[in-house]
Amino acid sequence: MSSPSPATAVIADAADATGSVSLRGITKIFGSATAVDSIDLEVRSGEFISLLGPSGCGKTTLLRMIAGFEHPDAGDIVVGGQSVVDLPPHKRPVNTVFQSYALFPHMTVAENVAYGLRQKRVPKSEIAQRVHDSLGLAQMVSFADRKPSTLSGGQQQRVALARALVNRPKVLLLDEPMSALDRKLREEMQIELKLLQKELGITFIFVTHDQQEALSMSDRVVVMQSGSVQQIGSTEDVYLKPANEFVAGFIGKQNFIDASVSGTDALVAADGTFAVSSLPSGAREGSEVRAAIRAEAVHVSAQRPAGGGLEGTLAGISFLGDAIQYVVVTSSGLELIARATPDRAEPLGTGDTVWCSWDASELRVFEAA
Amino acid sequence: MTTDAAPPTTAPRSTPRARRRRGITGYEALGFPTWAYVVFFFVVPLGLVLWYSFGYKPDLFNAHANDVLSLDRYVEALDATFIGTFWNTLRIGVVGTLICLAISVPFAYWLAVKLNPKWRPLALALVLVPFWTNFLVRTLGWQIILSPRGFVSDALQNLGIIDGRLDVLYTAGAVQLGVVYNYLPLMILPLYVAIDRAGPALREASADLGANRWRTLWNVTLPLAAPGIASGCLLVFIPLMGDYITASVLGGAQGNMIGQLVASQFNTAQNWALGSAMAVLLMLFIAGAVAIFGGIALIVRAFVRRARRVDLDVELPGGAS
Ligand SMILES: Nc1ncnc2c1ncn2[C@@H]1O[C@H](COP(=O)(O)OP(=O)(O)O)[C@@H](O)[C@H]1O
Ligand SMILES: [Mg+2]
Repeated sequence: MSSPSPATAVIADAADATGSVSLRGITKIFGSATAVDSIDLEVRSGEFISLLGPSGCGKTTLLRMIAGFEHPDAGDIVVGGQSVVDLPPHKRPVNTVFQSYALFPHMTVAENVAYGLRQKRVPKSEIAQRVHDSLGLAQMVSFADRKPSTLSGGQQQRVALARALVNRPKVLLLDEPMSALDRKLREEMQIELKLLQKELGITFIFVTHDQQEALSMSDRVVVMQSGSVQQIGSTEDVYLKPANEFVAGFIGKQNFIDASVSGTDALVAADGTFAVSSLPSGAREGSEVRAAIRAEAVHVSAQRPAGGGLEGTLAGISFLGDAIQYVVVTSSGLELIARATPDRAEPLGTGDTVWCSWDASELRVFEAA
Repeated sequence: MTTDAAPPTTAPRSTPRARRRRGITGYEALGFPTWAYVVFFFVVPLGLVLWYSFGYKPDLFNAHANDVLSLDRYVEALDATFIGTFWNTLRIGVVGTLICLAISVPFAYWLAVKLNPKWRPLALALVLVPFWTNFLVRTLGWQIILSPRGFVSDALQNLGIIDGRLDVLYTAGAVQLGVVYNYLPLMILPLYVAIDRAGPALREASADLGANRWRTLWNVTLPLAAPGIASGCLLVFIPLMGDYITASVLGGAQGNMIGQLVASQFNTAQNWALGSAMAVLLMLFIAGAVAIFGGIALIVRAFVRRARRVDLDVELPGGAS
C-alpha cells in the first residue's frame, strides 16, 4: 500500500481539511473508578500520535470518547476547530479501526468498505470507484467479493483500514490494530501504515501498549498511566528524556539505582559513587533519588574503566539476535541489565568479575517516590 | 478372606473387553434418547394419523376402521366450512405472527441493548412467568378480563372510553389477542438471543461509519438477527396454526380456528378417520404456508443483497479484480 497511486490522491482530499484534535480536561468515570482523569492533549493536523500505556490505563476509553461511543463526564473534544462532544458517533468527522476489526460478517469485503459511503448516499458509480481505490491502497482488491470470515487476521485488518479510509476522515482512530497479528506481519504493517499515513496526511491517533510499536511509527507519543498523561513528547524525547520514573520504566529496558545526592554532580549508591550531569530541581545534598540508565547505555568490561563504575559478577549472558544482554549482580544484590550489539561485545563468561559503566549524560535522575 | 483384600465390586464392568465394546457403541447409546423420542413421539403417531386418514368410521361405536382404504375422507374434509375456517386460521396466524414480531423486535432490542445488564435476568424471568402457568388457565384468565361484566369492561365504561359493555369476548379479535399473548415469549426469546449474540461492536462500527440508529437497525442489527427472526416466526406460527385451546376459550361458539374442527372430530364426533384426514390437510397447509412465506423472505433477502452489492468491475479503468 506504499506505492503512490491515483488512489492516494483521491483519498488524500482529507488533508485539505484540518484534522487537528484538542482534548480539554477530558474525564471519564465508571462507577467509582476514574478511567480517564482530566486529560489535555493537542493533536496537530496530519500528525501520527500514539497513546501508549499499560493495559487498563484508559487508552481505549479515551479513543471511544473521541469516536463518540462514550460521553466524557467533563471536558471538551474539538475536531478541526469544532466541538464534537455532543455529537453522536455517526456525525463526527472521524473513523475508527477497531481492535477486533468489527467487519460486518453478512457483507462482502467490498460491501463492508462501501458501507460508510452508502450512509452518505454517495452515487453508486462513485462508490465503486472509491471502494476500488481504497481496496487498492490496502492491497485487497482481489478479495472484494469474499466474506470477512474467509480472511486471515492480517487481511481483515487491511479491510478494516480500507473501510475507514474510504470515508476520507479528517482523523483516523486506531485501537491496537496490530495486536492480533503475528510479529513479522505486525512489523510489515507498521511500516506500511506509517508510509500510508504520511501519504494521505490524515491525523492518526494510534492506541498501543507496545512501546516498540509506538516508537517506530509515531511523530509524538502520549505516555499514559492510570487514566492520566505522564509525558507527551517526540519519540526521541520519551526515549531519551523520560519525564518521570514511570515513563523511564515503561519505555526501553531501564535499570534503576537507588542513591543519594552528593554535591552537585555525584550520586552515592550502595555499590559506589558515580557522576551525574543533571539533578532534579528539588534535589539537595543527601536527598534520596532514583537514577535510571537504559540497558543499551550500560557498558560491561572486564577491566575497571578509567572513569570508574559499578563492580559486579556477570550472572548471565543471553543472545537476543540484534543484541547481547548481560545480567550483572553487584555485591549489594543490585541487578543491572546491559545490552551491547554483538560486534561490540567483549568476550566475557558467566561468573567473571566485571565493571559496569556509562556516560553520565545518559543517566536520568528522578526524585525517589 | 479379609475385607481389605476384597476386589472392588465394579471390577467386572471395566474389563478391557467390556470397555472396548462400550467404546464402539458409546455414541449410539448417547443418541438413543433423541432417535427414540423422534420415533415414538413423532414418526409413529404421525404414521398412525396418516394411516387412519385413509380409513372410515364404520358405525356409531367405532372411531375408525382401515379394512377399506380410500381418499374419501379427504374429499369429505375439504368442504366449505373447512376451507373457510382454514382462511380464518391463516389470517389469525399471519396477523398474530406479525403482531408478535412487531412487539418483539423493539422489546428484544431494548432487552439486549438498552437495559442495564444487571436487570436482564429479571426481565427475562418476567417474560417467562406466563409459562409457569398452564396454557388453559392463562387463556381462561383472558376470558375473565375480556368478559362484558368484568373489571376491565367496568373500568373502561367508568372512564367513558366505551359506551356499553366491552364486546370483545367470543370474537375473532379476542382469539387474536389470546394467541398473541400466548405465543409472544416464543418470539421474544430467539430474537433476544440473536441480538444479544451479535454484540455491540458491529453496531458501533456502523455508527462510526455514519449510520444513524435506524439505518444501523436495518443494515446491521436486523440482518444479523435474521436467524432469530426466522426461528421466532416458526415457533409462533406453527403451533399457533394448530392451536384450538385459545380459540375454544376466547372464540366461543363461533369456532374460528381449524384446530377446533380436528379436535371435534376426534372428541365429539368420534370420527378418527375424518379427524386424521383434517389433521393431515392442516399439516400440509401449514407446511405450504411456511414454504410460501419462506420463499417471500428469500426473495426479499435477494433484493436487499442486490441493493447492497458493490460491483467493482463496472467501467473501471484498469480494474484489477
Ligand atoms: N464500560 C466500562 N464500564 C466500567 N469500567 C470500564 C468500562 N470500560 C473501561 N472500564 C475501565 O476503565 C479502565 C480503562 O479501560 P480501557 O480504556 O479499556 O484501558 P486500555 O484500553 O488502556 O487497556 C479499566 O480499569 C477498565 O476496567
Ligand atoms: Mg484497550
